Amino acid sequence: MTSTSLSVPSGRRLLRSGFLLPALLIAIVAVLVVAPLLRILLSTLTPEGLEAWQAVLASRLSANLWWRPLLNTMILGFCVAGGCLLMGGFLAWLVVLTDVPGRRFLALMATLPYMIPSFAAALAWGTLFRNSRLGGSAGFFETNGLAIPDWLAWGLIPTAIVLIAHYYSLAYTIIAAALSSVGADLVEAGQMAGARRPRIFFGIILPVVTPALVAAASLTFAGAVSNFAAPALLGLPVRMQTLSTRLFGMIETGQNERGFVIALLLIAVSALFLFLSDRIVSGRKAFITVTGKGGRTKRFPLGGWRWPLFALAVLIGFATTVLPVLVLAASSLAPQSGALFSNWTLHFWIGEGGGQMAQGQAGIFRNPVLLDALWTTIRLGLVVAFTTMLLGLALAYTIVQRRGSLIATVLSQLAFLPLLIPSIAFAAAYIALYGAPIGPLPSLYGTFALLVIAASAHNLPFAVQSGRSVLGQISADIEESARLTGASLVRRLFAIIFPLAIRGLFAGAILVFVKMVRDLSLVVLLFTATSPVLSMVAYRYAAEGFMQFANAITLVILVVCLAASFLAHGLQNRVQKWKET
Amino acid sequence: MLKCVYASALVACLALPGIAFSEDLDSLTPEQLLPLAQKEGSVTVFSLSSRIARIEAAFEAAYPGIDLIGVDMSSTKQIARVEAEQQAGVHAVDVLYIADTPVVFTKLVEAKRVVNYVPPRVADELEDRYKAPLLTQRLSTKVLMYNEKAFPDGSPVTNLWQLTEPEWQGRVLMVDPSQRGELLDLLTEIALHPDEMAAAYKAQYGKDIEVEDGLEGAGEQFIKALFENDLILLPNSDVLNKSIGDVNAKNPPVGFGTYSDRRDNEKEGWALQVANNVEPANGILFPAVLTIADKAPHPAAARLLIDFMFGDDTPTGGPGFEPFNVPGDYAVRKAIADHPDSVKLGELKAWTIDPAKTAAARGRIADLIITLQ
Repeated sequence: MTSTSLSVPSGRRLLRSGFLLPALLIAIVAVLVVAPLLRILLSTLTPEGLEAWQAVLASRLSANLWWRPLLNTMILGFCVAGGCLLMGGFLAWLVVLTDVPGRRFLALMATLPYMIPSFAAALAWGTLFRNSRLGGSAGFFETNGLAIPDWLAWGLIPTAIVLIAHYYSLAYTIIAAALSSVGADLVEAGQMAGARRPRIFFGIILPVVTPALVAAASLTFAGAVSNFAAPALLGLPVRMQTLSTRLFGMIETGQNERGFVIALLLIAVSALFLFLSDRIVSGRKAFITVTGKGGRTKRFPLGGWRWPLFALAVLIGFATTVLPVLVLAASSLAPQSGALFSNWTLHFWIGEGGGQMAQGQAGIFRNPVLLDALWTTIRLGLVVAFTTMLLGLALAYTIVQRRGSLIATVLSQLAFLPLLIPSIAFAAAYIALYGAPIGPLPSLYGTFALLVIAASAHNLPFAVQSGRSVLGQISADIEESARLTGASLVRRLFAIIFPLAIRGLFAGAILVFVKMVRDLSLVVLLFTATSPVLSMVAYRYAAEGFMQFANAITLVILVVCLAASFLAHGLQNRVQKWKET
Repeated sequence: MLKCVYASALVACLALPGIAFSEDLDSLTPEQLLPLAQKEGSVTVFSLSSRIARIEAAFEAAYPGIDLIGVDMSSTKQIARVEAEQQAGVHAVDVLYIADTPVVFTKLVEAKRVVNYVPPRVADELEDRYKAPLLTQRLSTKVLMYNEKAFPDGSPVTNLWQLTEPEWQGRVLMVDPSQRGELLDLLTEIALHPDEMAAAYKAQYGKDIEVEDGLEGAGEQFIKALFENDLILLPNSDVLNKSIGDVNAKNPPVGFGTYSDRRDNEKEGWALQVANNVEPANGILFPAVLTIADKAPHPAAARLLIDFMFGDDTPTGGPGFEPFNVPGDYAVRKAIADHPDSVKLGELKAWTIDPAKTAAARGRIADLIITLQ
């Protein structure tokens, strides 16, 4: 294969290596993303659908149905993206580029919040800041005599804070991966040229990681505008609606067309912002920092700031990680959900069934389904993370190689959208499209394959965004040398690109894994196996009113995610041996 | 996994000729259905309640040789899945155990995606309104709840119109009716009783109600007044129960919740109680229904399961119904006694919704509450 590709004329060679991959990718993305999206669009072009367009955009309802939720959503999106960049970026800089003490510990803390479901952070906020508006027991501050005004207990501000606390670790993960490829030689060159520290930071480091910052901003923005739990828990009591609560409500009350119209409009608005941010990145020069030479990382001495900054980082970690985990853990131990810190019992974890507790239900570790569910969950998470990364790598590679071209713009736009398509609509479209046999292909209905395909498509944005931020830094020299010596595309991908970009890829894989292990909607609609996944077990307990069991399962999920992240960390260190100092 | 699919596809093919006889299947007794169902070998049910796991054990013990596959899923997801599957020509599910009946009525009954079946064994025991267009298995509630510890002399509210007065400003809670179908159904039902709401208004204030332009009837006027009196909307019933029910609360709010949640009072430290003596009604009773999917692959086993889930002739309903027999929910079979700890069905002052009527009216109410937010 390699010898023929060298001997064929240049025109055909271009066709082979230059167009085959993009064409294939466009076909895949068309099947995975465009087809379901089109199906949803078509369903809003029926008579009912057209009425829905009118109701949303031009009727007496539009102000409350679209414009005000849109405003809330955009404010949330931008605040959260900004806040996440600041917090995630600060921590990434601290951990990767400075000599702050306890770097491993800080790195661990910074990756955790995304693994904790956002409702836990919202609950934690409530535990502290809840005021008397709803009656019931007040939060910590009011109980201790500090009156909490409504704006601090409910609405936009607490929602934004909670979402930043949840999503900044996503930004951290991506920015840290990019920062770790800022080689010492660059920084030292700057120092030798006499640049002061701010100059090095703004003149060298920041431009180099700009693609990562844009990737992180896009993903946190998408996360914030599509998050349901936090705005529902903290916003509804003061009647704050966002597009995600509106969307959920419309589908939940049987007004699907309106829900889909809102989703499509949200996708359009977000795509516009993504397009603009893409222009910013592709309009400037790309900086190549990964050259294949020993990529040591230069650590700045912090001097007297070492401990104060360490304390600040620990404080952030404590507020965003320890607190929600504490609330989760307490609520898996407390018999009464209203009194989280009294009468703790291990019943919900290991108790035997049949007694007075919990209507005779045994603890989760005595649930025979648990082990099965654990295994299915891990398998699903791993398979989806793997397929998503494979596809994401190919997409990111093409987008980066053809930066600025139409094809790259289209692919990067399409690969970003799935995150914003509501999973229930996404799953339904998949069943309707691929549930029936197509030509010689068998029906995929009820197969593990359909679930994996849908999940890979749904999580594509993580893989593509985190992949391209790192791929953009890899020097073309190495790859070109390999190509000259006759290495095939696959060979180049696995021998060069993959090891060099592994941090970014694994960062994306972890995000996909976490999302998959926690996400319920997609699984419940597409999965027909009798052995459920952990999130389904948790849902079952919660549906029966046993939040303690559900929260215990959530903690198990957290442990699984953590283990996966350790595994990934270990693997990437083994692959990138040259990083060891 | 693939094996499963092939097996079910195979079963589906074998079952196809059986569909022609499904009219006849409707009249068979459980004894006659059993051998046919055993030949089919399994039955798949989507269930709104995870208590289907207990039904699975009981059903398989009672009818060996039929594998019950229970998948628990919210009503919304069941509807989405059945619609999508049937569009793809997939017929994999047999029985739906589902609420949200107004949506089921428009999306599944009118679109002929489900067929109604009434087990002959219990048909005589059921009122007609529970038999068509959908077969009701039990009734659940969204009614006015209060804190019986804070109000030991009974409900502080005796007329719905009191909820629109300054005394209850910001102290009436409800799960957001634009987020949850049952609460939208509740408001729709209030709007569907304009005369009774007008009479209750007159009883409270001694004068006739004046309805604003653009609103239809006293019910819609009530909804508007309720929202303008700072009705507090919540994301879910957990938050609602905690806020209303907390035993230590000094001056707790009231709200529209689920009567059967009262059974968790002791476990959770709540003092929830239903406000029953309310003019003109304290809320709604809404059905959970059992229905058979169109072209169900296991038509005999599906019917046998529905028959089973109506319970036996003991007062508790036996293993087929017991998991759902909780105080505050109501069986529609007359042979199954109401739970001794709760208000009897006949004495509960709640309106029972009619899925078809609610379906026709709820779009207008959904729009109304969007403008009121």
